[in-house]
Formats: sequence, structure tokens, C-alpha cells
Amino acid sequence: MDYDFGPEAGKLRARLRELIAAEIPEGWLGAFSDDPADLEVAQRFCRRLAEEGLLTLAWPEEYGGAGGSVWDQTVVREEMWAHHEPRGAQYMGLNWVGPAIMAFGTDEQKRRFLPPIAAGRIIWCQGFSEPDAGSDLASLTTRAEPDGDGWRISGQKIWTSYAEMAQCCVLAARVGVPTERKHEGITIFLVPMDRPGITVRPIRSMLGRHHLNECFFDGVRAEPDEVLGGVGNGWTVIRRALAHERVGIARYARCERLLSLVGAELAAAGAPSGLRSLWARALVQVRVARLLAYRTVAEQEADAPRDESASVARLAVTQADQQVAEVLFQALEGRSLEAGPAAPVRGAVEDHWRYAQAATVASGTIEIQRMIVSRALLGSGR
Amino acid sequence: MDAARRSEADPDHRAAVGSVLESLGIDELDPLSDLDTAAAAGELCRAAGRVALPYPVVAALLREPGGGPPLALVPTAGSAAADSWAVDHGDLFREWTCADLDGRACRARPAPSRLGTRLGPFVAPVEATGPAPGDGVGARVDMHLTLGAWVVLGYVERALELAVEHVRGRVQFGQPLAAFQAVQFQLADAAVIVDGLRELCRFTLWRVVTNQEGARPDALGVRLHALDGARATLRTCQQLHGAAGLCDEYDVSILCRHIQPALRLPFSAERTADELAAAVERSGFAGLFPHGGGR
Repeated sequence: MDYDFGPEAGKLRARLRELIAAEIPEGWLGAFSDDPADLEVAQRFCRRLAEEGLLTLAWPEEYGGAGGSVWDQTVVREEMWAHHEPRGAQYMGLNWVGPAIMAFGTDEQKRRFLPPIAAGRIIWCQGFSEPDAGSDLASLTTRAEPDGDGWRISGQKIWTSYAEMAQCCVLAARVGVPTERKHEGITIFLVPMDRPGITVRPIRSMLGRHHLNECFFDGVRAEPDEVLGGVGNGWTVIRRALAHERVGIARYARCERLLSLVGAELAAAGAPSGLRSLWARALVQVRVARLLAYRTVAEQEADAPRDESASVARLAVTQADQQVAEVLFQALEGRSLEAGPAAPVRGAVEDHWRYAQAATVASGTIEIQRMIVSRALLGSGR
Repeated sequence: MDAARRSEADPDHRAAVGSVLESLGIDELDPLSDLDTAAAAGELCRAAGRVALPYPVVAALLREPGGGPPLALVPTAGSAAADSWAVDHGDLFREWTCADLDGRACRARPAPSRLGTRLGPFVAPVEATGPAPGDGVGARVDMHLTLGAWVVLGYVERALELAVEHVRGRVQFGQPLAAFQAVQFQLADAAVIVDGLRELCRFTLWRVVTNQEGARPDALGVRLHALDGARATLRTCQQLHGAAGLCDEYDVSILCRHIQPALRLPFSAERTADELAAAVERSGFAGLFPHGGGR
């Protein structure tokens, strides 16, 4: 029973905070604003992390990483998310696209794709969800037809984050005739986004720019060496990707930082007593979400990951995200609706509230997590 | 759960429960001595909660060093003779140490009555008799709050298991209740609460043992989470039993009734939240970023 990460993790956390303080302008709220300068901040930060060997801290040494422990990776996840993910969209390449290429890619794919990810020079988007395949992802209908030695891909993807700025897409498409077993035939392609036939259309939303897009694939050519993990083996790759996503975002860290920043208002004399009670409960709930995330990390470390642990952690952290958003808004009262640098906490609370509404939907709705948890509880007698 | 049922019919049976715990060496466990002993004490409390053990295990574990009286938490421990407080199993010992969150402590003895109600079958008043040594009582108060949460953890874990068993076996509309998504989702939400409470109990035990001077916010935090979580979880588990959940023949009914003193004494969840907010303002709240007095 020991919850101390140790001195090395403490040093890593301190170094990351130094770098963030030096490189990230105060009040910066992420790379995905209307201001292209915000994206440049993230790209510069990634290059700086890469120079210090911190960008690929989690990667095995054989792929140029630092072979950091799962706890080092946890520190990175916490500090990055707490400070509005200064790696921008790169986190996806680092967290799962790179590792998936290491696990399933050919030597040529590793040579082609891993160095730019490790250097922070490439942005990926994830072409999974479709208009009729959301939570039920295996129902996807985007098709890849044989075309000489390669493929022609046609279909529509939706909710695709960063598609406008991405250079490459991890694209899930169906090969062959659909069968009763929907998972069969799904294949993952690594496709450059500047290929002819790709159209990206942003979707206006409460999240702001770059988060939600539609992508249309109209006979897009994919080369034979752009299949990842083998034809028809895409579901295995997707499962790995989604598992990473479940533990990938340390939402509790930003919640805790914002509760800290707004703490004075929350505890101020004259604040309604009910608000103090909400604040106290939010602090505890955020701690619980962190501990459940740590349980998942510990299971990963022991090489015994359980789907239901990750789902429990995700249910707890997404609900904490929304709970904290509401507490913060209650604290700021009339000023809660203000956005931008002149708003309280330079707009971070308003930004958090909008994002928190998506927490229980992004990367799979929490209803799916409830199904996973109840299945584990009820077993075969369900 | 037999001991709980039998003690309700014959409160003297609780003495036999105490003898069994003594023979198991409960007096040898000092939860504040080291992490291993604390973990053993936590597991004992959790096991007691699972069977609604009719005995004040936490109070007994936190006797004053040297075999002194058991420790009860009370809202405000003065030493005026007129003070009296409701204490679960208050009639079981001739003498108590009563302490409050401010570190005041006094001696007390049972008053000659017992509540004997369905929701407080073993709650009995105790009366102050005079001052008690206050040395080190703060850490014992924190441990009391924490181990109290471990007892609650045992209750809710068992209640959830019982609910799972029930919905798997009970058939309505031609299928087990477990086949209904509304039932599945309620169980999933309860499981999230129970898993979270389990992790928080472990973490808080670690904090209280390794930070004996500054763990008050942690101890209040786990109590608050236990109280909030228990109300939600037990309600779900009882509801999923249907009318059977109200019947003492079913263990879930015993759990839901016998846990009530732990949820209400010495003070409510809302009072706990107020105390937690004040404690965080004074001492901070350990985490990734500073809060309140930890700023």
C-alpha cells in the first residue's frame, strides 16, 4: 500500500511544469482555436519536448523512446491534460497510433511513420465513426474495393477531430462482402489526407473549431503497403486503439487544477454554504476518479488489464468532469458565461464546461461503458 | 448475518460476538502503528460491515493504548456531566472515551436505556463523567472516521453482491431481471460507486498512517464519500429486490437497517461536507494542485 510515485516522477512532473511555464502563454486554452498562433504554440512545444526526449517518453527504447514506466506516462498524461494538452493533436499519434504501428506495422511502415511522430511533426486523425456507426462501430460501411495491387476507398466518416489540420488518417474500411459477423472484413488503412478524393467539412459545434468534422472519401487510392495489421484484421487494431483511449485522458487533472484556481471564490466569505458543500464533494470525487485511473494503470503494469476497470474509471472521470464544470459555473455565477482572456481564469472555466458536456460521449458513450461494467458483474446469468 | 438477527432479538448476544473478536486478537491491532496493521484493521472493518456485525469494531480497535476504553466520536465532547450522546452499542461497555473533531475528549458511561428501534437497534445514550486525556486523540479521530468508511464499504459491497444474485435469479416477463438494461445500468452505476469507495478507503488509510498530523481532510473526505455512496447504492440494491428488499428474511433489509447509525452518527453527511470544506481551507487537500490552506 503506497501511493507515492517516487522522486523520479516528482522530478518529471516539475520539469514538465517548468517547460509549460516557459513555452505556453498564460491563458492558452489549447491548439484548436480560431487563432492559428495557438496551433503554432503546440507545434513548438512538441518540438521542445522531442528535443528533451520527453515526447516519446512512453515509447520503447528500440523505437527511440525513453522506455518510461506506466507511472511516468501517467505523470505526462496528467500534466498535459491539466494544462490544456499543449501537445495539441499530437497526443493521439503518441498515445496510440505510434504504438499500434509498433505492434501491427511492417518494418517499412515503422520506418515511414514512427520518426515523424517521434519528432512531433505529423498530426493524425481517426477515421472510425460514421453516420450510422457510432457506438456500434462494427457496423461501419465505408468500403475498400481492390484496385490493381491497392485499394479504392469510398464512404463517409463523421466526428473526425483534427481532420482539417491532419496529414494522415487511420481509416477503418470494410473489405469484401459483409457477413453476419460484422467485425470480419474491417481493415485499417494509413492514408495521407492530401490524397485526391478526400473532402473535409467542419461541423459547427459548442466545442469550437477542429473538433468535429465530416470526411468524405470518394474513390481514394490506398497503396498495398498502407494496410495496417493485415486485411480483415482491423477490429484487433481498433480494440487496441480504444483501450488506449479509455485510459488516455487524465480528465481529473484539469478538474483539479481548475478547482485549485477557482478555490478562493469557492471558499469566499458570503458564498452560499451549499457551494462549499459542492466544492468539498467535487474535490473528493476528483480524487476518486484519479484513484480509479491509477487502479487501471496498476493493472496495466501487472500485465493484467481488465476492460471493466477501464470502464469504471472512465465512468467516474467523465461524470466528475461534468460535476466539476457545474461547481465551477455555480462559483462564478453571472461571470461563468464569459469567454476569452478577460473572463475569469482567462476563460478556462467556460472552456471546460463546454468540453465537459462532450466527456460522456467522446471516445464512445458512457452507456457502452455501463454495458461493459454490468456484463462483468452479471456474467453469464445476465 | 445470523449474529445481527440474533442480537436484535437478544442484545446480550453481542457480548459473545465481542468474545470471538477478542479471541481473534482485536486488542492486539493498533491501526495507527504501521501500514500493514492498518490494512488488517481496515479488512476487519470491511468484513464486519459485510455481515452487519452487531459490534462496535471501530471503537474497539481504537481503544486508548494500554487497554483503555473504546473510542466513540460525538458532535461536541465537553465534560459537563449533563452532556449525553447517542452512540451505537453505547450500552456494551462500562466506560467510553468520547472525542470530537476539535480534539476534545471526555470519559462517559452508558445511560440506562437503549433506542431499540428498527433503524437503531443498538444505539444507546452515554453520559459524560469527566475529562479524558487528549493526547494523540486527533490521529485516532481521523482513523475512526476512516475505519468507519471501511465498515460502510463492507455493507455496500455485500448489498451489491446480493442485488446481483437477486436480479440473476428473479424472472419476470419471461426473463431474469438482469436482462433488462435499466437494471444493468443501475448496477453499473452502483459498481462505480463501490469501486471508487474501495480505492478511496485504501488511499485514505495510507494517508492517515503516513500523515498522522495532517490527514483530517482525507478522513472527512472518505467519510463523506462513504455516506453519499452508501445512500445511493443501498437504495439501488434494495429497490432491485422489489418488496423482498423490505423483508428481514432477506439480508439486504438487515444491511439497509443496521447501517443507519453509521450514516447518521455522530453527524450527517452535510455536516461532514461543511467540516471537510473548513478542513481543506485550514490544511489543504493532497493532490496534484494546491487547495485551500495547502496553497
